[in-house]
Amino acid sequence: MTLLRIQNLHKIYKNGTHALKGVSFEVEEGEFLVIIGLSGSGKSTLLRCVNRLIEPTTGTIEFLGKDITHIKGEELRSVKKQIGMVFQQFNLIKRRSVLSNVIVGRLGSMKTLDSIFERFPDSIYDEAKKCLETVGIEEKADVRADSLSGGQQQRVAIARSLMQNPKLLLADEPVASLDPATSNSVMQYFEKINKELGTTVVCNLHFLSLVRRYATRVIALKAGEIVYQGNPLEIDEDWFKTIYGDEAEEVEIR
Amino acid sequence: MIKEPGLDARPKKIIADNKKREQKFNFCKAVLLDIFLVFYSLIVIQRAIYYKFILDIRDIPFAWSQIWIVLFISIIIGSLWAFTKTSLSCNLFGVAKDCKTTKLTTEIFGWVLFDITFIAGWIVTKISIVDLFSKDGIEGAQRIFGALFQPEMSIFDDVVFATIETIYLALIATLISIPFTLIISFFTARNLMKDNKISFAIYYILRIVLNFVRSIEPVIWAIIFSVWVGIGPYAGMIALLVHSIASNAKLYSEAIEGIEDGPVEAITATGANKIQVVWYGVVPQIILPFLSFTIYRWDINVRMATVIGLVGGGGIGTMLMQYQGLAKWHEVGLIVLVIAFVVWVMDYISAKIREAIY
Repeated sequence: MTLLRIQNLHKIYKNGTHALKGVSFEVEEGEFLVIIGLSGSGKSTLLRCVNRLIEPTTGTIEFLGKDITHIKGEELRSVKKQIGMVFQQFNLIKRRSVLSNVIVGRLGSMKTLDSIFERFPDSIYDEAKKCLETVGIEEKADVRADSLSGGQQQRVAIARSLMQNPKLLLADEPVASLDPATSNSVMQYFEKINKELGTTVVCNLHFLSLVRRYATRVIALKAGEIVYQGNPLEIDEDWFKTIYGDEAEEVEIR
Repeated sequence: MIKEPGLDARPKKIIADNKKREQKFNFCKAVLLDIFLVFYSLIVIQRAIYYKFILDIRDIPFAWSQIWIVLFISIIIGSLWAFTKTSLSCNLFGVAKDCKTTKLTTEIFGWVLFDITFIAGWIVTKISIVDLFSKDGIEGAQRIFGALFQPEMSIFDDVVFATIETIYLALIATLISIPFTLIISFFTARNLMKDNKISFAIYYILRIVLNFVRSIEPVIWAIIFSVWVGIGPYAGMIALLVHSIASNAKLYSEAIEGIEDGPVEAITATGANKIQVVWYGVVPQIILPFLSFTIYRWDINVRMATVIGLVGGGGIGTMLMQYQGLAKWHEVGLIVLVIAFVVWVMDYISAKIREAIY
């Protein structure tokens, strides 16, 4: 089943930057789609258009067969609830505990007053702990979020998005600020979520070695346009040069 | 499998239109600024330099007809000026094409404007070296300084009590200002209010009101409130309260504008509503700066409370004014010393607390 269908999407920022120039693709349920491309090629803009953190200029976005390009208010929030997102900079609330950071993932389905006075039902705490178990850091539940290492913080961020029971999980360069070893372990959690929970993952990545290992399909963006679409294992030297420019050389990280 | 890049015409047109509109808007701004610059120079040259300095007239004649004539002349010159390569404003707003003439004339006219302003300022201030070193003046200064450094200790008790009154007055003004400031600051933070037109209008109006309130000095508020609620500490407290709210709301809202966007974005992405986003994404990031600003405001308020006392706001300032009115300089000396001591201590304490917080 097609989960996400994007057609002829354009994004022009106020300063005149034409970040997306007519991008069209589809995402099937259960896929692990990876988007690659140079910095500034429009990867982040594309992801942020999908869950409408950024307003697209023209084009359509369909999620679960429904046009969500111009929905607003309550309707938009209910779509956002079904789409989890993980960021490069983790974006946790630094001064709060890991557990309350995870619970934040559920705010959308809570009453405003209840969430302000933190009157959460016990079941939410149990679920939050379960999400932390999924990413393997349940023992850090009561620690302040900013005392964790980068890799641990990213796992908390993943747990936060799991709290939404998302149909689609977006990840904007989730391992770009982590070291190679940690990168791999964080990517394994994405794989686990994709395989065991059946969540569709759309992920921006930089390293081709990670792409070949985890992606089921690849889209390459160059200057806001799709230049490659297909199997990650078929990206050879020539394609690599097309995507990253003639000067580029592939670096292997292990 | 390559997709042909299908660029449709619309996005390109949007970009071109945006650029054209911006150019036009900037040119309009440039014309207005050019008119203003010409008007300003003509008025300053005529009134400050010609009348006051060259003709040395004490009471400068004022006539609207004259102003209108100058305005009319400057509208003509200014708008013509904007169409030439030498225009200062066209360069400022980026309308002018990059060429040597524009660069040179910008420099020249910039200097001319600065010089006119400086000369006029010198004339208006009536700067005079002679007055500073006149014999009578220096003798008077010696008399007062001598008295200030021999403080009269018999009124020490009264001075201490008046000082304590001042400190409490400042404290209460600061405490009461906190809840008001908190609420207002969220509505005057650009990043929270820019999303829709109604909230942006609220933001804009609140900003204007706060700027207005802040631009009126606490001393003037104290005069207003001493008429309203009667002379005394209460009037002083309200004056400080009003000023604290207006000033701190600006600082608070700037703290809100300076937060990390990441957590806000992340929480928005989970489908949380606006209030939840603010409570979980914004509030944890601003608690410490808020606390620090508030303590600093108490410190400022103690200093201001002494000044406010001069116009009937109670406390040490009122006492200072009474003794100064009677020309009892030895008593004034004691009061000044106590004020200096208290301000120094408050400054030290508040700095220490603010350091400890971070």
